[in-house]
Amino acid sequence: MTNQKKAPATVIADAPALESVLRQHAEQQFAEELAELVKIDDRQRPPNWKLSPWAVRAYLLGGKLPNGFTVSPKYIGNARLIEIAVATLATDRALLLYGVPGTAKSWTSEHLAAAITGDSTLMIQGTAGTDEAAIRYGWNYARLLVEGPSPAALVVSPMMQAMQSGNIARIEELTRIPAEVQDTLITILSEKTLPVPELGMEVQARKGFNVIATANNRDKGVNELSSALTRRFNTVVLPTPATMDEEIDIVERRVASLGRALELPAEKPALEEIRRVVTVFRELRAGVTEDGKTKVKSPSGTLSTAEAISVMTNGLTMAAYYGDGLLHAGDLAAGLTGAIIKDPVQDRVVWLEYLQTVVKERDGWKDLYRACHEVL
Amino acid sequence: MSVHIFGVRHHGPGCARALRAALEALQPDILLVEGPPDAEGALPLLTHEAMKPPVALLIYVPDQPSRAVFYPFTTFSPEWQALGYALGRGIPARFMDLPQAIQLAREPVAEEQATPPADDLPAAADSGHPHSAPTDEKPAISATATPPPDPLAMLAEAAGYDDHELWWEQQIEQRRDSTGVFEGIFEAMSALRADLTPRDDEEAQREAHMRSSIRAAEGEGFARIAVVCGAWHAPALAQRDDAKADTALFAKLKRVKVETTWIPWTNSRLAYRSGYGAGITSPGWYGHLWAAPDRVPIRWATQAAQLLRGEGLDASSASVIETVRLSEALAAMRGLPMPGMAEMREAIQTVLCHGETAPMQLIRDKLEIGEAMGEVPPEAPAVPLQRDLDAQARRLTLKLTAEIKDYDLDLRKDTDRVRSQLLHRLGMLGIGWGEEQHTYGKLGTFHEKWRLQWQPEFAVALIEANIWGNTVASAAAARTRQLATVAPDLPALTALLERALPADLPDALEDLLERVRDRAAVSSDVRHLMDALPPLARIVRYGDVRGTKAERVTPVIDALFERALVGLPGACLSLDDDAATAMVTSIDNVQETVSMLNRDDQRAPWLATLRLLVDRDGVHGLVRGRCCRLLLEMRALASEELRRLAGLAFSPVNPPEQAVDWIEGVLRGPGLKLLQQDDLWRALDAWLANLAPDIFVTLLPLLRRAFSGFSAPERRQMGEKVKLLSVEEAAGTLGVRPSGEGGATHGPIAQERANTVLPVLAQILGVNYEPGN
Repeated sequence: MTNQKKAPATVIADAPALESVLRQHAEQQFAEELAELVKIDDRQRPPNWKLSPWAVRAYLLGGKLPNGFTVSPKYIGNARLIEIAVATLATDRALLLYGVPGTAKSWTSEHLAAAITGDSTLMIQGTAGTDEAAIRYGWNYARLLVEGPSPAALVVSPMMQAMQSGNIARIEELTRIPAEVQDTLITILSEKTLPVPELGMEVQARKGFNVIATANNRDKGVNELSSALTRRFNTVVLPTPATMDEEIDIVERRVASLGRALELPAEKPALEEIRRVVTVFRELRAGVTEDGKTKVKSPSGTLSTAEAISVMTNGLTMAAYYGDGLLHAGDLAAGLTGAIIKDPVQDRVVWLEYLQTVVKERDGWKDLYRACHEVL
Repeated sequence: MSVHIFGVRHHGPGCARALRAALEALQPDILLVEGPPDAEGALPLLTHEAMKPPVALLIYVPDQPSRAVFYPFTTFSPEWQALGYALGRGIPARFMDLPQAIQLAREPVAEEQATPPADDLPAAADSGHPHSAPTDEKPAISATATPPPDPLAMLAEAAGYDDHELWWEQQIEQRRDSTGVFEGIFEAMSALRADLTPRDDEEAQREAHMRSSIRAAEGEGFARIAVVCGAWHAPALAQRDDAKADTALFAKLKRVKVETTWIPWTNSRLAYRSGYGAGITSPGWYGHLWAAPDRVPIRWATQAAQLLRGEGLDASSASVIETVRLSEALAAMRGLPMPGMAEMREAIQTVLCHGETAPMQLIRDKLEIGEAMGEVPPEAPAVPLQRDLDAQARRLTLKLTAEIKDYDLDLRKDTDRVRSQLLHRLGMLGIGWGEEQHTYGKLGTFHEKWRLQWQPEFAVALIEANIWGNTVASAAAARTRQLATVAPDLPALTALLERALPADLPDALEDLLERVRDRAAVSSDVRHLMDALPPLARIVRYGDVRGTKAERVTPVIDALFERALVGLPGACLSLDDDAATAMVTSIDNVQETVSMLNRDDQRAPWLATLRLLVDRDGVHGLVRGRCCRLLLEMRALASEELRRLAGLAFSPVNPPEQAVDWIEGVLRGPGLKLLQQDDLWRALDAWLANLAPDIFVTLLPLLRRAFSGFSAPERRQMGEKVKLLSVEEAAGTLGVRPSGEGGATHGPIAQERANTVLPVLAQILGVNYEPGN
C-alpha cells in the first residue's frame, strides 16, 4: 500500500536540462506557440483557463494566427471532434476520449491539458494494479508512525493535486483500472470533492479542475465502466484516419523515423508497398474495398495505423537482414499475416476470403497473393 | 393597388412563420403562389379535415402516368401556410407558374427514367423540370445533370460558411423575429441576379408566366396582391414592364392534357437522401423548429432521450441536461445564437449515446428525418397507379372482376409473358390479384398457371402502393428495392430475387444482386451462402426464357461460391445431429448448383472440398457420408477409395452411432447406384456382424431409419445383395459376374438342382427342354 509516488511538480524541478530529456512535455515543446496564443487571445476564458476555448482549438488544430504566427497542428482529423472536446471541458464535464489503439487519444489529452492549464503532467496511468491511493491519496508511513495522521503525512495523488490547484488531471487507460477503483471517481466527478476522513477534512476542487480520461474501446470487456461512471463523462470517439493519403503519410513518416532509429541497412520502402499495406489494412478495417464496390469481412484485431507501421518496419528488417535489402511482397507477407490473423480460426477464414476475392483479382498484386498464400 | 412579393425557400419553417405573420399584417385580397395552375381544381381539398401533411400534389399525363411531377407540401412549407391562410379567409388563391400542361408537353417522350439512386424513392417524376436552385426547390424532380451554380452557396460563401444549408438555417429558419426577412431575401437575391437574365429558356418562360399572372390579377382590380415564390424568382417578378414579350414567350407552347390529385407523402421523401434532388436534409428538425413554441434545444434533447429510452437505452434526465449544456457551449464556441442541428447531434452523440454512432442512426431516422406519413381525403381523384393498371389490364384483356378466372400462360408468347409480368409485379406490391398455381411436368419452365380474382380491398392497396411509383412497373421496382433493404438475411434476399425475377424489373434486379453480393461478403453463416446459391443458379440456367441477363448473376454466384468453399470446412466441425442434417441440405444445395451450371471451374474446387471433408476427423458422420456419396455420384471416387473410407468409417474405434450416421449419409438418395458398390456392402456387413448384441439392438432403429428412404423393392435388392456377397465369400468365388440393369445379379448355379426344375419351367414358358443343353 505504500504509494511513494512523488508529486510530479518536484520531478520537473529536479529534471535534467530540457534538451537532454528523451521526450519533452507538450507545454515545454510548444511553449512558444502557447505564449503567442496567450498574447493574441482576448476572448472570454472559463475560470482558471490559460486560454479561451477558441485559442485551445487553434492550438490543437493549428493554423495561422492574426499576427502572422503559424501554429502547428497537433491533431489532424475532424475539427468538430476537438470542438466537442473543448466545449465539454468548458462546461465542467469530464471528458472521455475513446477509440481503438493508435488514434492519438493520449496525445490529444496531453495537448488539451497543456493548452488549458499549461500543465500536462498530472497524470495517472491506469493499470490492473492501480489502487485507490493513486486516485485519492496515500500515506507517508514513516511520518504517519512518528507524527500520527497529519496533512504532512499525506501523499497527494495527481488527482488531488489537480483539485487543489484547479488544474486538469489525466487518466490514461481508464478501462484497465479495476472497477472498484474506478468508482472512486464518481464522487470526485459529481461532488467535486475528495474527503479525507482520517484528518476530518476534505479537498474541494477549485474552479478549472477537470478530468480527461482515455480508454480503449477494443478492451471494453476488461473493466467496462459502470453506467454511473459513464454518465459522468462526455464521450468523444477518435476515429482512425479518414483518408488513404492521410494514413499513408503517417505510416511513411513513422517508418522512416523508426528505420533511422534502428539503423536498418535497407532501402526506404517504395511508396507503392506502403500503399498496398495501408490499403489492405483500411479495407479489412472498413469491411469494404477502397473502390466501395466489394464488401469484405473484418478480422477480430484492431488493424490500427500503428500496426501497419510495425508491419512495414518488420518487412524492412526482413529485407535488410535476410533479403536483398529491397522490400518485396515476400518480406511483408509474414508480418501482414501475423497482424491480421489474431484468432487462428475466424481470422484465417477472413484473411483467406480476402485473399481469394480481392487480392487475387487486383492488378499487380499477384506477388502479394502468392507470398501470403505461401505463409498461410 | 399594391403587389407584395415574398421570396421564400420551400419547406422552411422560418420562412413559413415569417410569411404567415406578413400575410396577417398585409391582409391581401388575393394570393398568388408559385405552383402549377393545372392543380387549382385540387386546392379546395387542402383544408379538408382528412388532409394531413406531408402530402404532395401529383400532376401527371393520364395516358403516360410515368410522366408526372410531385409538389410536396408539409406543414412548415410557406406555400402550405399561405394557401391555408387564403382558403381560411375565403380570398382567391391561384397558382401562377407555367402550367405543367406545357412543361410536361415539352419533354421528349422518354420511357420512365431510371429510378433515382437511393432506396425507397419511387421512380419519381421525371419531369425534366430543371429546378433552378436550392432556393427555388420547386419539388419537381430534375432530370438535368448539372445544376447551374447555386446562388445560395455563393451567398453562404460570401458570409464565410462552407455549408450553405447551415447558413440558411441560421440566417432564416431559426429566426424567431421575422421583421424584414423578406426585404433582406429580396435584396440579397437582387444583388445575385443583378442582370436578371434567366438562366435558360425554361426559366424565362416560367418567370414570364408568373409575371403575366400578376398582371392579370392587377387587371382584375385586386388591391393588395400577395405573391409567394422561390426566393430566386423574387427580383424577376418585380420587374413587370414588357407584357407583350412575356406573353409571346409561352403563348404558343404545346400543351398536353394533365390530371391532378393529392397523394400521401413521407418525411423521408422530403429529405435529400432519397435522391430527391430538391429537398431538405432534415424535415424532422425543421418540423421541430416549426412546432416547438420555445426552448427548442431542450425539447429536442428530451425527444431524443425519450426515443432512446423507447429502444431500451439509458437516457437519464441528468444526461439531457448535460446534452443541452454541451450543445449551448458548442454554439457559443462557434459563435452561433443558438444550437443548430449539428450542435444538437454532436451533443446527443457525446452525452446521450456515449460517443457511439449506432444509436445516432436511430436519431437520424426517427427524429431528424422523422417518420411522418401524410394522409389525403378519400375524395381525392384516382391515383395514376390505378389508371396504369386499368390501361394495362385492358390491353392484356384481363378483367378486374371478383369472378375467379384461370389462365394458363405460355411464356413464349408475348401477350402471355406481359400478363405474367404484370401479375408478378402486382404480387411484389402486395396486391394478390393473381395466385400462381403449381405446374408440373416438362412444360414447367414455359408455362404458368394463374387463378385471378379481383378483390375490392385491392383498390385501397393501390392507393397505398402509389407511393412507390405511378406505374405498376416503377412501383414494383421501388417496392422490391425497399423490401431488399429490410430483408433480414441472405436467403431472404435470394428468395426475394427469385420472386422479383419473373416480374422483370431489371433495375431493381441489379440492385438486389448488388445487395446479395454485399450481404454475402459479410455473412458469417456459411450455410446462408450455400442456400443462396440454387435460386441464383436457376436464374442463370433458366433466365433465358425471360431474357434475363445471366452475365449479371454469374459474378455473384462466383463470389458466393468461393466464399462458401473457404468457409465450409470450418463450418462442418463440431456439429450436432440437427446442425449436421441442416448442413447436408446446404451441401446438397451447392451440389445442385454445381450440377445445374455444369462448369469445370466450379466442379474441380467443389470436388476438392468434398474430398477434404470426407477425410477430416471431427466432421459429423452424416456430413462425411453425404460427401462420400456426392463424390461417388460425380464419379470422382474410385472403388478402392470407397473401400478405404468405408473401412475407416466402420472401424471398431469409431462410436457405432457415428458409423450409422455415416451410412445414413451415404445412403441418402436413390439406392440403385449403390448396389454395385460391393465393397461398401461388404464393409457394412462385416461391421454389423461384429457388433455386440446389445449395441446392435440400440442401433437397430437408427439403421432402419437410414434405410427407410428406399422403396420396398430397393430394400429387397439390397438385402439380396448382402446375402449374395456372403455366399460368394463362403464359396471363395469373388469375381466378375454379369449384372443386370436393375442390379439383379445371380450367383453360381447348382446344376444338379437346376436340372430338377428345368423341365417344369420349360413347360410353363412353353419352350422345348433338352437335358444337357
